[in-house]
Amino acid sequence: MLTLLRDLRSLRRTVALPRPDRGRSLALRHVDAGSCNGCEHELTLASSPYYDLQRFGLGLVASPRHADVLLVTGPVTSRMREPLLAAYHAMPEPRRVAALGDCALGCNVLGTHDALVGSVDEVLPVALRISGCPPRPDEIAAALLALIDQKTDTHGERD
Amino acid sequence: MSRHRDALQQSVEAGSRFVALYASEETVRTVLVSPDGTPQIIVAPVVDGRTQSVVDLVPAAAWDEREAGDLYAIRFDGHEPMRPLVNHDLDLGSWTVPVHGHDAYQVAVGPIHAGVIESGHFRFHLVGDRILHLDVRLFYKHRGLERAAEGHSPEGGIAFAQRACAGCAVSNSLAYAHAWEDALGLAPTRELARSRTILLELERLWSHLNDIAAICAGVGFAAGNNRFAGLTERARRLNATLTGHRFLFNTISVGGSTFTLTREQVGHAYEQLEAIRDESRRAWRELLFNASFQDRLPDVGVVSVDVARTLGAVGPTARASGLAEDVRTTSRRLAYDDFQPVAPKRTAGDVQARLEQRAVELLQIVDLLESLLDAPVNPTAAVAGELEAAVGIGRVESPRGATVCVVERTNRQIKRLHLRTGSYANWPVVVHAAAGNLLPDFPLINKSFELCYACADR
Repeated sequence: MLTLLRDLRSLRRTVALPRPDRGRSLALRHVDAGSCNGCEHELTLASSPYYDLQRFGLGLVASPRHADVLLVTGPVTSRMREPLLAAYHAMPEPRRVAALGDCALGCNVLGTHDALVGSVDEVLPVALRISGCPPRPDEIAAALLALIDQKTDTHGERD
Repeated sequence: MSRHRDALQQSVEAGSRFVALYASEETVRTVLVSPDGTPQIIVAPVVDGRTQSVVDLVPAAAWDEREAGDLYAIRFDGHEPMRPLVNHDLDLGSWTVPVHGHDAYQVAVGPIHAGVIESGHFRFHLVGDRILHLDVRLFYKHRGLERAAEGHSPEGGIAFAQRACAGCAVSNSLAYAHAWEDALGLAPTRELARSRTILLELERLWSHLNDIAAICAGVGFAAGNNRFAGLTERARRLNATLTGHRFLFNTISVGGSTFTLTREQVGHAYEQLEAIRDESRRAWRELLFNASFQDRLPDVGVVSVDVARTLGAVGPTARASGLAEDVRTTSRRLAYDDFQPVAPKRTAGDVQARLEQRAVELLQIVDLLESLLDAPVNPTAAVAGELEAAVGIGRVESPRGATVCVVERTNRQIKRLHLRTGSYANWPVVVHAAAGNLLPDFPLINKSFELCYACADR
């Protein structure tokens, strides 16, 4: 155990992530609306020692009830439309939706008309668009940090 | 007994293995492979929307028949009860197993989960914390990829296989490419086989590291999870350096390869592989000596060798149960000369065995990659000369087990595409492994399989 912790500490030094200059936070709830699992794999690694999303106050929470931002991946399938809406309506206001990855943005989506609804903004109002197939963990982190700044600017506004 | 059932029974008795069943043109087609890897298709007629089930002969075909039932409106006589699989419009009673008794109750989980997890619904039938039965409802992510691929050219169709699942992008697109090359009578050159084997093993490398991290997360062991997540990142950065994409997208094409590695890239890969081997060995030793972690693993989520065989388990799951099942032993189109599957000493089919299976395979992957990376990789094309056919079959060993792709064609257009991945084969095994365990152990059991939802749902 000590070796593991020592290795993690030295890995952290090697990676030398800059200290964040902000004292703010965003609680994120992820919903997979029909992705290929690429965005999920990259989002998972955004919490790994190489990126450490949490140092910016960006944390993934277990329930939409605790979330500021709904982070949606994939094109919305017809079977995921209702669960996605239910998650959004369970969130407290103010709330934001971020579309993560090209499929969520409606780019080059593959599938049949019956099985797919389309991009996330056909179902929910999208405040942040993160492109990439899939976006890298550092691209995800950078885009969410921009949203933190945006959140501060519109503090108190209700949608 | 009807002709197709006789033929199927004969083949199974002769040692052939079921690999897929799908509907096409008023028929149901069952794909088997003989022990030496030769595929065979048995065609059953569909008359007035009905055909005879084969699920009593090959229980592994249960999900395949349910899928064909939902998507192609085929009735399988003898498959009782026939529960829906892809169709979500029916009420709870139609797709769950009735469970009655004193204090029995249900817990519904998903389709949206508490972590960064794909969408799928689990319905547990419990008494106290003990799982009596689990019904899974997947296909929330069904995109209709097989149907959407119809009419596309060999090159145009590859995206549908690749983007079925990012975690198995190389495996799926390679199975697809092999299926087309089988149909077009193309044989790989030595260089093509080597180049594709490197890509397939690079995919397995990051995937196995990811699986070990996931099992650590499954018991809430954050230090182990972070250590192996760091190694997964390293493997994905290696992918990006070698191919320009962290998930190796767009590296496979039909009839040849444009993938290149310079001498410098090969050298870099070698250095990174050595480092990943050393660091993962060191981290693995720490896991072995962590008693509170190890305590959670044995005798949980057991899949016996008989159950693994009956339900058609594949990949690390099957090998951890004691089945020496690996497509790489018969992959004539790839560079797996004298390949022998490895297994840990203890193949008890529980979470511990599946974890150790990943660890021993990890070292084998690094060895394989190092021996394949003995020279730069050059672009190359497959060579014509074999017989052409209307149907092509490709099989590869994905990180999660045997993946088969069937392409039926009209000239150079896809008439029917069917992709049955290792995850699809293993989901019914997860259901079986959950029964009798405690509900709080389910996340761990599920992580020990670490199946994709995306490539089961397509």
